[in-house]
Amino acid sequence: MTLNSQTMVELVKVTKIYPPDIMALVDVSLVVKKGEMLFLTGVSGAGKSTLLKLVCMLETPDKGFIEVAGHDLHRIKPAALQKLRQQIGVAYQDFKLLPNQSVFQNVAMAMEVGYQNPKAIRNRVAFLLDQLGIANKRNIAAGHLSRGEQQRVAFARAAANSPALLLADEPTGNLDPGATRMVLNLMEQLNATGTTLIIATHDESIHRNTSQRVLNLEQGHFFSAEDDDPDIHPLAREIASAATPL
Amino acid sequence: MHYSIYILKQTARNLRQTWGTQTMTLLTVSLSVLIFAFFFLIHTNILSAGARLGDELRLIIYLDDEVVPEMQAQLKKRINDFTEVEKIIFISRQEAYDQLAENLGRDRDVLADMDPSFLPPSIEIYPKKDLKTLTSIQSFSSYLATLPGAQKVQYGQVWVEKFGYFTNLLRIVVMLSAGLLVLSTVFMVSYTIRLTLFTRHEELELLRLLGATNAYIQTPLLIEGFLQGLLGSSLGMLALYLLFAWIKRHFSGPDFLGAFNFTFFPPTATLAILMVSIMLCSLGSLVSIRKFLRV
Repeated sequence: MTLNSQTMVELVKVTKIYPPDIMALVDVSLVVKKGEMLFLTGVSGAGKSTLLKLVCMLETPDKGFIEVAGHDLHRIKPAALQKLRQQIGVAYQDFKLLPNQSVFQNVAMAMEVGYQNPKAIRNRVAFLLDQLGIANKRNIAAGHLSRGEQQRVAFARAAANSPALLLADEPTGNLDPGATRMVLNLMEQLNATGTTLIIATHDESIHRNTSQRVLNLEQGHFFSAEDDDPDIHPLAREIASAATPL
Repeated sequence: MHYSIYILKQTARNLRQTWGTQTMTLLTVSLSVLIFAFFFLIHTNILSAGARLGDELRLIIYLDDEVVPEMQAQLKKRINDFTEVEKIIFISRQEAYDQLAENLGRDRDVLADMDPSFLPPSIEIYPKKDLKTLTSIQSFSSYLATLPGAQKVQYGQVWVEKFGYFTNLLRIVVMLSAGLLVLSTVFMVSYTIRLTLFTRHEELELLRLLGATNAYIQTPLLIEGFLQGLLGSSLGMLALYLLFAWIKRHFSGPDFLGAFNFTFFPPTATLAILMVSIMLCSLGSLVSIRKFLRV
């Protein structure tokens, strides 16, 4: 199976079941093009976070096929996975910050694993913290910040490498309108420079007036009719219509 | 360049986060090296003292009768058949008497009424330096006792046997302390690295998710083991040297250490102990990484 060079993420008939029998995603198929900004909406438990976790390989699917930036995640070698992960920024819903380390260290870590120039790291981190309104928190331990500030640090870390793909799980869940605007501005900037974004949110305000694609997940299925969505992969549609498991 | 910076930074962070355990491990490694090196130093010095004394080792066969010149060649051959020897000297009754008289010096008068043939003839055998072990001396002695005309074989049995048993005991102590060194370094370092892994579990998991390479995560832990070995063994050897210098200053004299000519390890041996300790500590680190770190 080859991936169109314009495709960043592809899911074909992906199913994820959590023990004992919680169907988080059921036969989900999706294509996200390079440079696209996609909003995944849905109530809590709809499967948004699971989908992001599958794309960043925090979880593995029970069925189906996932390809990211041309890599089949089922067959990817450890070294290639490490490189791929450096190109994917993830703003986790639970932040995954190191509470004893400073805001700067938390953000810089994403760039340090790629052995980037220390000066470039300092500049990039300073820029991101400034954009997100937390420049004055640079040397404070992440554990001492409010939830909203921690969320912005997590987003800054996800954006640090100017990644090819950025996955954000409820990136504005704890933010006031002003901070939400800052995060959205940064997302738009990243998107304008070529970053593909997949944003899982149940905050309608951030996608209400957007011209970007919005997909609604409900009980592990895309709510909108797949046939109406031009970006659902034709192969996925074919497989779905044949009703045979992958 | 940047690689080195981040690896050293990670190493420093590891050491800072678990400094208490690191210090305990460092002291354990130092103590193990000190114990092992202490016994090894005594062992090597005793062995070299033994070798010096061994240079003067000779076996004397007391004979029933004088050995006629024709027999001498035959006896020499039989002795050399068992083991090559340095020198064989045949001593007649008269030569033994003269030697005793010479040794008595001014007191030789005590021999005035004695028959010059009252001493038995003998053969003095000076073995080569490769005849060092107690077992080989004992077996050579037993062989000499079977030679025709041999009455008794003497070589300072009691002293040689006691010395042999002592060096054997010391060898066992050295081996045990070497075992202690291996166990303490490998297990303690392995345990410390494991503790580092548990302490930094969340951070390591996050690094994995951020795409950190195996080298980025593992190298600092290997450096940690390396440093434990380097610093621990250096401290241990330094402590031993100070102890050695103190003992030599306070107890050396003609009757004690002077007799043994007690010396410290040569630089090569010191370096070898350091290298082995570093290798063992690095091994301990590697064991934990392999066992507990899945990247």
